[in-house]
Amino acid sequence: MRNRGDALRDHWADSHSAHNSRRPEMLPGNVAWLTGRPGAGTLCAKTPGPRSISAHINGGAILNHSLRQLRRKVGPLENELIDAFEAGAVSRRTFLVRGSVLGLGVGALGMIISACGGSDDATGTSGGTDAAPTGSGTDTSSGTDTTAAAAAGGIKQGGTMRLASQRPGSPLDPIAMDNIGSYTPVVMSMEYLCGKGEGAARAPMLAEAWSPNDDGSVWTFKIRQGVKWHSGTDFTAADVVGALDRLAPTNLAAYIDPGSAVATDASTVTVTLKNPDGQFPYQVSPYNPQAVITPPDYEIGTLFDQKPNGTSAFKLESYDVATGAKYVRFDEWWGGKAYLDGVEIIFSDDNATQINGLLGGQVDAVIQFAVSDADALFASDSVTVDSIQGAGHRQIWFNVREGTFSGEKGAKIREAVALGVDRQALIDTVLQGRGDLGNDHPIAPVYEYWDSAQPQRERDVEKAKALLEEAGAAGISLTMHAPDLQEIALLAEVVQSQLKDIGMDITLNVESTSTFYTRWCKVYDSKTEPAGCDGGEEFGIVDYGNRGTPDVYLVKAYATGEWNSAHYLSEEFNAAVKEYQASLELEARKTAVKKIQEIAHRDIPYVIPYFYNTLTAYSKTVTGVQHTGLGHYFLGQAGFTE
Amino acid sequence: MGKFVLKRLASMVVTLWMIATIVFMIVNVLPGDVGRKVLGPTANANDVAALNAKLGTDKPLLEQYFRSLKNLATFDFGDSFQTGGRVMDLLWPALGRSAKLAILAFIITIPISIGAGIFAARRQDKLADRVVVNAGLGSSSLPEFVTASVLLAVFAVKWKIGSVYANVPAGTSLFGQLEYLLLPAMAMVVSYFGYIARMTRAGVITALHADYTRTATLKGLSSGQVMRRHVVRNAMAPTITVISVQIGYLFGGIIGVEKVFNYAGLGTMMLNAVGKKDIPVLQTAVLMVGIIYMISTLLADLLIAALNPRVRLERGS
Repeated sequence: MRNRGDALRDHWADSHSAHNSRRPEMLPGNVAWLTGRPGAGTLCAKTPGPRSISAHINGGAILNHSLRQLRRKVGPLENELIDAFEAGAVSRRTFLVRGSVLGLGVGALGMIISACGGSDDATGTSGGTDAAPTGSGTDTSSGTDTTAAAAAGGIKQGGTMRLASQRPGSPLDPIAMDNIGSYTPVVMSMEYLCGKGEGAARAPMLAEAWSPNDDGSVWTFKIRQGVKWHSGTDFTAADVVGALDRLAPTNLAAYIDPGSAVATDASTVTVTLKNPDGQFPYQVSPYNPQAVITPPDYEIGTLFDQKPNGTSAFKLESYDVATGAKYVRFDEWWGGKAYLDGVEIIFSDDNATQINGLLGGQVDAVIQFAVSDADALFASDSVTVDSIQGAGHRQIWFNVREGTFSGEKGAKIREAVALGVDRQALIDTVLQGRGDLGNDHPIAPVYEYWDSAQPQRERDVEKAKALLEEAGAAGISLTMHAPDLQEIALLAEVVQSQLKDIGMDITLNVESTSTFYTRWCKVYDSKTEPAGCDGGEEFGIVDYGNRGTPDVYLVKAYATGEWNSAHYLSEEFNAAVKEYQASLELEARKTAVKKIQEIAHRDIPYVIPYFYNTLTAYSKTVTGVQHTGLGHYFLGQAGFTE
Repeated sequence: MGKFVLKRLASMVVTLWMIATIVFMIVNVLPGDVGRKVLGPTANANDVAALNAKLGTDKPLLEQYFRSLKNLATFDFGDSFQTGGRVMDLLWPALGRSAKLAILAFIITIPISIGAGIFAARRQDKLADRVVVNAGLGSSSLPEFVTASVLLAVFAVKWKIGSVYANVPAGTSLFGQLEYLLLPAMAMVVSYFGYIARMTRAGVITALHADYTRTATLKGLSSGQVMRRHVVRNAMAPTITVISVQIGYLFGGIIGVEKVFNYAGLGTMMLNAVGKKDIPVLQTAVLMVGIIYMISTLLADLLIAALNPRVRLERGS
């Protein structure tokens, strides 16, 4: 019987024959082996540096030749990235992430790194893009865990892994699902074109490889062959086109039209974008959870539980929204035979139950939980807690169009609030240290184009008081609205007490999420300028989840989007966002993002106190778990330790 | 007797209509519209409007009300707004689960609490009586969810006895199900023990001091015969009434216990339905609880009548 890793390794051997593809660490999703220092004897193809002079001539010559060949094959975007890496303008990690998004395979990335070297501490990238783990766990890429354990004979065949998950909050419509409780059961069976690699990197999934044209407006995906649907039929390029056509008028409406995806042959799909986008693979990856490749007999609105199907290692056996979902192993999975016999997802409504389940041994993992509920998990030595650095954050919004926070006086009050919050104290108390400082713009340090040089806004009580005085708002009383979700209620309380120090009298109105969202924005796609989010309250806290790129935050919250609760409208900002979206090269993107950060930081339509880490936990008896922080648990290579 | 039952059944229909009306009114007073609740804050207004049109929740309230009454009258309970599935597909299993837990709780509670009540009454004002009375007072003043949380933390999490999740996996043997259901059932037992035990104790004490008991003793019956034939029989009427009321409560009111143990019973279904404004599920679930409540009180009345000829005569006349 073939081991579940064999098929993956075979695939790698085919795609990257220049390498010793039997290296088990070279499974998709694991590029960790590349992050080590290159061996001696390297030669960079374009402009050999001083190091290359002392290089081993034969090895260097081969690499040099291979790199030249590669440079000829790939487009200008890839060459630009190689140039930047070679010049030391991007770090190795950034290079790996960007390279994976542009479709450079692990073999090619490894060769370039071997040829050009590079460092992790290159200029301007101190934040790094890799979701650098913090806390007690790591951002697990299954490759490392699984293969290491397998090599040691550590994973046993069999067993059912039980996951505690939030109850689905809406019908399991893969395209329209909008909450983590709905994502988990769907993505246990369905897969994406591009999968998750180490940190923010992309790895092959249903697409084996992909590449952009010269300006990033057309992307070509090589579709994996030999894949079967759970229903037994063959997975084809036409199925991908069908799935993208269903996404076109809905989830991917900003990117493609129906008909934009075309199968040029049995294994190739080209996608022509409405506007060039150098990061499009993120949109067909787990970072955009709704972009799963749905079966050919699906229509918009088909529910997964009513027509269960998919291409993953586990197929749905039963589903009951009241209790949970059960999956059995799909032996014809393209990745080989999974270790686990099955997976069971157990639904519940609150984190406490899920955490108790893990501590009591009734489940093996909790998909996601808030730091405020989890002291017992952090203290447990039988549980691995993974803390994934991300871009998820909370926005304290101000209505800048009318009322207290509008005009010149309003700007002073907004700045006073921004100066009044003690961000580090919030991270320490509300997140127990598991987060990054926010600087009143939605670009998180996790993004490779984050401008780390921007000065951090620090707490300044005296200046805040003076600003309130100037605005004639000393001792002002306000009501702050917030949803009772994860740590937000606690955040609201701490902010309330911090703002008391600058003389603001805040009354909290913390409501259930279902009530809150009708108050936050009453009209979501109003045609008034700026469009969207009319009639909401003027002041409050709202949640934004983790995203692979900041587009959702920029377009929906800051520009004229439907979640623009600040009613913020700035031509200057919108121009910077356009510039960011049109920028295909990293340097141009950094320039645009720098402007975005400066404008948002200056105008303060939202105070963003922190970017929180996403937490997931699983028993130490399981290994090979790969997760995203967005509800995905990819368990094709997971199993119980012996 | 037949006439009595028929009359009661007729009044049940009126009560059910009132329940349906009240639920409809309350649900529609809740803020937010159905489409928005189902699709979430990220959905655009067109999709929300389309869903409201599909569900009929964009129609005038009066029209929605009459349609819901008509559906209930024809036993068409409709589809859940939240899951898109049939309401009864969701609620029958939930009712089954609630019944299972309630029956287990009753099997444990009734003998223990009635036994304790009789035991205490026969030792009135002695130490044993004080212990039963105070233990009962203490246990029934603890809210179920507190008892449930303590049992869960101590037994399921710390000692790994019993399960954090009470939902029984399919195919579990009858005995095996105890592992899942015992802790939540015990949380309910703790709450009901005191109430039923004290009620029994009071009834027994009254009966022990009654003239007919004295007569029975004086005519030479053994104390066991006096207890069985005269005391317990007469003392049970208020206890049975209390138990019958508790049955309805058990099915619908144990949301706290169900929530703590993540048990997918009727209480959990109702709670979720309120949060999601899932009117068909909420309305049907509340009606179910109403029907159970009314049937259990009807059965209790019949049982009391069977035990006590005077009641039977009054009702018959």
